[in-house]
Amino acid sequence: MNLRPPKLPDEPPPGPARPGFWKSPLRGPWLSSFLGSALLPLIVICALTGFLSQLAYSPDLGDNNILPAGGLGFDIFPFSWPTDPAWLYALTQGLHVVSGVVAIPLLFAKLWSVMPKLFEWPPLRSVSHMFERISLAFLVGGALFVFFTGVMNIQLYYPWNFSFVPSHYYAAIVFLAALALHVGLKIPTIRTAFRERGVVRPLNDDLAHTVAEPCREGSTAPLEPDAATMSRRALIAGVGAASIGIGAMMAGQVIGGPLRSIALLAPHGTNPGDGPNGFQINKTADAVGIGAAETGASWRLSVEGRRALKLSRDQLLAMPQHTYELPIACVEGWSTTQTWTGVRLRDLAESAGAPGASQVLVESLQEAGSFRKATLSGAQIDNEKSLLALRVNGVDLSLDHGFPARVIVPALPGVHCTKWVGSMKFEVA
Amino acid sequence: MGRFRKLYGASPLHLLAVIATLALVGYGFFMIFKSPAPESTLIFFVAAIFAHDMLAFPLYSGLNRIAGQAVGRGASQHDERRVPAINYLRVPFILSAFCFLLFFPLILGLSSDRYSASTGMDVDMFVGRWLGITAAVFLGSAVAYAVRLRRTAGGPDDET
Repeated sequence: MNLRPPKLPDEPPPGPARPGFWKSPLRGPWLSSFLGSALLPLIVICALTGFLSQLAYSPDLGDNNILPAGGLGFDIFPFSWPTDPAWLYALTQGLHVVSGVVAIPLLFAKLWSVMPKLFEWPPLRSVSHMFERISLAFLVGGALFVFFTGVMNIQLYYPWNFSFVPSHYYAAIVFLAALALHVGLKIPTIRTAFRERGVVRPLNDDLAHTVAEPCREGSTAPLEPDAATMSRRALIAGVGAASIGIGAMMAGQVIGGPLRSIALLAPHGTNPGDGPNGFQINKTADAVGIGAAETGASWRLSVEGRRALKLSRDQLLAMPQHTYELPIACVEGWSTTQTWTGVRLRDLAESAGAPGASQVLVESLQEAGSFRKATLSGAQIDNEKSLLALRVNGVDLSLDHGFPARVIVPALPGVHCTKWVGSMKFEVA
Repeated sequence: MGRFRKLYGASPLHLLAVIATLALVGYGFFMIFKSPAPESTLIFFVAAIFAHDMLAFPLYSGLNRIAGQAVGRGASQHDERRVPAINYLRVPFILSAFCFLLFFPLILGLSSDRYSASTGMDVDMFVGRWLGITAAVFLGSAVAYAVRLRRTAGGPDDET
C-alpha cells in the first residue's frame, strides 16, 4: 500500500518555498514560541468567558437559546448562571472582549513569524504532515474568522449573511480544537527553544547583539539572514504597545466612569447625553419603533401567575420601591453602573399569586427583534436586587432606557434586561 | 510500531490526537451547517485565510521593504553613527494601523445608520479620533527620533 503523496521535485520552485527567500533574522522557533506563549493565556481567557456568556443567557429557559438545536454548546458548564456578584457579567464579558482585542496584534505577529511554514517544501511529507497542515488551515481560518466577526459585531457592522452568534460560537470550537492539537504538537519545539535560549533571555539583546537563531531542518529561522534592523525586544514592545493601547481603550468602556474617556475608538467610549439618563444605550426607542403612543398613560403592565393583573405605572409606583446600584453589561463588552429604582420581581410574582415562581417570561412592547423577550430563572426572580425599574438616578426612565418600565437583574446580560416591558408571565412553582 | 511510523510519518499518539481534533472540527462545521447561511460562514472562513496570507502579509511586507530601502539609502550617505530611522516609522505605523484594522467600520462609518439607531450617538467622531491618534503617535516618534539624533550626534562639531 502506498500512502505517499505524488512525487514532487526535491528542489523547491523559485520564490517563498526556497530556504534563502526569508531574510528576517528575528524569525525563528524562539520568537514563535514566545509569541505563542503570550497568546495562549489570552485565548484561554477569551474562550472560557465566551462559553460563560452563552451560559449567562440561560439557554435552557424558554426561547432563550439562540444556537441551533442539537448542539452540545450550553451544557458545557454543569451549573446555572448566578446573580451574585452583580458585576459578574460585566467582568466576564469585559474580559472576553478585552482579551480578544489584546490578542489580535500578537496573533498577527505570530502569523508573521511562522509564514515560511506556509510555503515549506515539499508541501506534504507524509500522511501525518498532511493532517497537520489541514488542521493548520482550521487553526488560522478559525482564528481569523472568530476575531474578525467578534470585532465587527462590537461595531455593529455585519457585511455577511450568517447569524453572528452561532457562526462565531461554532467557528470558535473549530479554532479551539485545532489550537489544542497545535499546542500539543508544538510542545517539543517550544521546550527546545526555551531550554536552549531561555524564556526571556533573548529580550536582553539590543540591536547590535540581535542575530538569527540557527537554521535547522524544518525551522523557521532564516538560512541567509539580513542584518537585524530591529531587536526582538523592540518588535515585541511595538506589538505589545498596540495590544496594550487597544486593550486599554476597550477596558475604558468596560470599567466606565472617568476611564471611559480613554476609550477613544471603542464603540461605547462616549456617553450619548448628559444628566441622569445620559448613559450608554443599546437600541434606541426610535430604532425599534417605540413611541409616546404605546408608552403613554394608557400603558398597562400585564402580569400573569395564578391570577392575571393589569397594572398602570401609578399602581406600580404605589408598590414598595427599592433602589440599588447595579451594572448593566452588554455582550459587546461595555458596561455602565447606575442607580435603579423600582418594584422587586419577587413582589410582582407574589401579587400575581405566584410566590417563589420558577421562571418568568418577560416580553417587550417592541414588535420585532431577536431580544424582544427573555425568560428569567427562579433565582433571578428571587434576588432582592432584581427589579422592574421605573426610575433611574432619581428620575423617570427615559424612553431610550425603557420607559415606562424595564427589567434590571444582577449579572444578567444587558439584552435580557428587557426594556419597554409589556407583559410578564410567571410560571407557578 | 516501526511500520506504523513509516506509513503514517509520526507516532500513533499523533494519529489519535488528529482524529480527536478532526472530530471536534467536524462537530463545529456540522453545527455551522445547522445555523443560518452556512455558505456565507464558509466563504468568510476561507476568505479570511486568503485575505491574511495573500493580501495583508505581502502588502505589509512590501511596505516594510520599501520603507527599509528608502531609509537605508538615506542613512548610507551619512555618518555611520546616525540612528536608523526605520523603527521610528515602524512603531507608529504599527500602532496606527492596528487601530485602523480593528476599528475601520467605525472610522469609515460603514455601520453609521445601525450605530446611531442602536447607541443614540453619531459615528462621525471616530475618524477624527483615529487621525488624532495617528498624529500623536507619529509626532511622539518624531520627537523621540530627534532626541536620539541629538544625543548620538555628540558634540556640535559632529553634526552632519
